[in-house]
Amino acid sequence: MIPDRLLNFLPWALATLMIAAMVHLVSVLLMPALAPKDAYARLASYAKAVGINEGVVALPPITPGAEILSFEDASFVEAACIYDLSKRPYHVTASADGEDFFGLSFHASGGRIYHAITDRSAIKGKFDIILGNARQMEALENASDGAAPLQEVRITAPTSRGFVLLRVLAKRGSDQARLREQLKSVKCEHFDLPKD
Amino acid sequence: MFLERYSLYLRAGLVMIAGLLLGLFTTVLSLNAGYGFNPLEAGPWTAWPSVGVPDSDPYARAVVARTGESPLGRDQGLVFTASTDSSGAPLDGACDYSLEDPTPPARFWTLGIVSPRGSLFANPTGRFGYSSVDILRHEGGGFNIHVSRNIQTGNWLSPGEARQFNFILRLYDTTLDVDTQPKADHFPKITKLNCA
Repeated sequence: MIPDRLLNFLPWALATLMIAAMVHLVSVLLMPALAPKDAYARLASYAKAVGINEGVVALPPITPGAEILSFEDASFVEAACIYDLSKRPYHVTASADGEDFFGLSFHASGGRIYHAITDRSAIKGKFDIILGNARQMEALENASDGAAPLQEVRITAPTSRGFVLLRVLAKRGSDQARLREQLKSVKCEHFDLPKD
Repeated sequence: MFLERYSLYLRAGLVMIAGLLLGLFTTVLSLNAGYGFNPLEAGPWTAWPSVGVPDSDPYARAVVARTGESPLGRDQGLVFTASTDSSGAPLDGACDYSLEDPTPPARFWTLGIVSPRGSLFANPTGRFGYSSVDILRHEGGGFNIHVSRNIQTGNWLSPGEARQFNFILRLYDTTLDVDTQPKADHFPKITKLNCA
């Protein structure tokens, strides 16, 4: 026989577990939206601190205490482009020299990655990428109907805010200065949708 | 008298508080345990390939948002970390370690030292890792890194004054198959030498 005391206790224990399970799921799912210091927030506050509203934000050398993002490779020279697609789509152009590893990764606010490429998949050493939300993509699609084949890669972003992280590997420490210059040639800008 | 009348409410309140605490506790536990599901494990080395894909699971997203990192895209490379030596003993800053080749196939790799939270250690060398290009190699292409607080000849990494540290091996443009568990003997061997 199960003692009465245990039977009395059981429904309360089950209720506790139910609540715990719900709290667990909700807190995990809400974490990306609520985490105060995610990668997007860190980059945005750095861009604000150095006074860059638009275009490429060169990130400082990755040294102890001066890291903006955690778990970044100190052998890399990095820059970020922070965008907001709520009004206008975004255009990223960059060129790779084919010799150094050059990676572009596209992150939604919250840090989730939704697209990533390296210079291996660059077309003739060039990256030419347009980011937009679904509506902007449709407008671009209609505007370019029947025109010349596409030069650029078009990516639909899952959230209107996010960032593009540009990473170049400095294989030797002495390459850093040269690559820092090279990253300055990257262009990131919002542009107006064609009028029809 | 008062307690008896409201004992049901009291119990319900206790259940809610206990459920809330238990739920948050399990969230913290699960987020500290790694980046969601399906790690790749090779001896002491662990990677989380699912963190770098667009449809990453909610746990991976929550961890990334909390640590403030921008994961490497799955198409860009893979990041392996090790918090133990090859025999399974936790890494200790007071001990010397030797890291020996081989490394898995990749266009480039970097091998460095990082805190469990993903930041770099201030150390007298000013070096935080080696790349496949700038590491000194033996005749025949093998290499050896000496990890110690004290000055060493050859490839030397120092954890500075830190007690806890991890090794981090990043493979860029790697051909490593993520659908099967890699072999431990394709990864650098971590051997404890002596402890201070």
